[in-house]
Amino acid sequence: MALIEIDDISVAYGTPPRSVLEGVGLRIEEGEFVCLLGQTGCGKSTLLRLVLGSEKPLAGRVLIDGVEHHQPDRTRGYVPQRYSLFPDKSVLDNITFGPEVSEFSLFGHLTPRYYRRRRELRSEALDYLRRIGLGESDAAKYPDQLSGGMQQRVAIAQALITKPRILLMDEAFSALDPGTRRGMQQLIRDLWRDTGTTILFVTHNTQEALRLGTRVIVLAKETPERGSRVSLDLPVPDPCFEEEIPHLVQQLESGAGWKTAADCKSAV
Amino acid sequence: MSVGFFLIHAKPHRTPAMLLSWSLFVTGIALYLFVAHARHRDNPEERVTPTIAQMARGMYDAALKPAEDDEQAASEGTMVERFRNSMLWKDTKATSRRFIYSMVLLIPAVLLGLHMGLFPYVGAFFLRFVLFFDKIVALSLLPILFIAFGIDELAKVMLIVIGVTPTIILDTFNLTRAVPAEQLVKAFTLGAGDFDTAYRVVLKQIMPRVLNSIRLNLKSVMLFLFAGEMIASTDGLAYRIALLRRHMGMDVIIPYVLWVALLLFLVDLGMRVLNRKLHPWFQES
Repeated sequence: MALIEIDDISVAYGTPPRSVLEGVGLRIEEGEFVCLLGQTGCGKSTLLRLVLGSEKPLAGRVLIDGVEHHQPDRTRGYVPQRYSLFPDKSVLDNITFGPEVSEFSLFGHLTPRYYRRRRELRSEALDYLRRIGLGESDAAKYPDQLSGGMQQRVAIAQALITKPRILLMDEAFSALDPGTRRGMQQLIRDLWRDTGTTILFVTHNTQEALRLGTRVIVLAKETPERGSRVSLDLPVPDPCFEEEIPHLVQQLESGAGWKTAADCKSAV
Repeated sequence: MSVGFFLIHAKPHRTPAMLLSWSLFVTGIALYLFVAHARHRDNPEERVTPTIAQMARGMYDAALKPAEDDEQAASEGTMVERFRNSMLWKDTKATSRRFIYSMVLLIPAVLLGLHMGLFPYVGAFFLRFVLFFDKIVALSLLPILFIAFGIDELAKVMLIVIGVTPTIILDTFNLTRAVPAEQLVKAFTLGAGDFDTAYRVVLKQIMPRVLNSIRLNLKSVMLFLFAGEMIASTDGLAYRIALLRRHMGMDVIIPYVLWVALLLFLVDLGMRVLNRKLHPWFQES
């Protein structure tokens, strides 16, 4: 059984209804790094929200490990493009929020156990902070005092500390400058290798999709009136060599076809 | 300075900025003194515009002499004892007590607004009613309140509840709705439940803005409180102002009005400092 099964999903918005997704079906296995690619407005983020459980489809269903989920929960971590951190909490408190809220109720702060556990969680959070390339001096800062790249690093740590089975990232690096973006791509790729978390990464950047994913899924509309469907679903050579990327981008964006993983490796 | 007065990008220096900000105060006081002096020159018995000396004497009596309804209180003793037996202290205490009741009653209003903004069923249940309630002119209900609740504290507190809480509920509702959906989804994905999200994520984020909203409504709270005190009360700052009006006691009314403004300014300042201390992140943003 696939970890994520998307069965014949359709979504429409507005009155009269405007179809966004139409008959989308996908199966994502555990441990895959899937990049969801498509033009602006093609329904990539909608599909991500369906997997997240924050939105309901008009038809079809989404199964996570064979079970339908009707609201977000800690099995699926989430890193959006913006507003990914709680502005009222320091970096460290943002990272420890997940474990704290899972282990302690609203009045859990009143128990001595909370303070003992909090110390452990903070030390674990500091480890995460180092793994994402931030120092202890950043721990007490508030999100507004961090750069965009640093904020997204913390957001990734915040999501990963709860050890979700699936990490959903919605244009998570889109607002970053190219240099920071490359660093973040490397970081998420390394974290994926270390943790084995299944990642569904939404992007409109073809190069980014190829650099990150083990599989690229392209959503596209056949006609403007119809909803998007899966137009390409292709494995990406791992590692996909840098020199191959421009060529692959050209092929992918022209819709002329795709080299298989074996083709790509043999080409090098 | 005249060149830069209507320039958007002007950067006034500290001294001219300070002079400008105080100039209206100085002008107002000077104008008052000029008018008071002229009127007293024409009529030494004039009571509408008391001189500074008359006001100082009036305030001295209000702050250090026993209230007229408490004649048995000693008019001797230390300054502190005399102040604690004075009319000013007793009135301030009575008004402050009602003011604190009103502020405490704003807590459920904030919580209601939060729940309305977060939980769609709660919103559907209350929103239309609160919107309607907000349009009722609270002062027009004053006679009904006095008939229904008598002329005791309850009627005055109810007046404030009707006058101010709908605004606070709706402000909190709007602030809650303005919290990005990503934050709510994020909280759930980190393991938070509905109430965790409400109290540990949303309330904490909106709290500084809610406090600012309450600060902006302080004047309304005082307005309704004063209306209640002026009409049906036996103590309080507004009661005293209304009472002195009958005797044309402008020498005490004007200092009382300034005293109320000072108290309100201090409450506002206190809330601002509290907000800064409790929510350092809000100052950063």
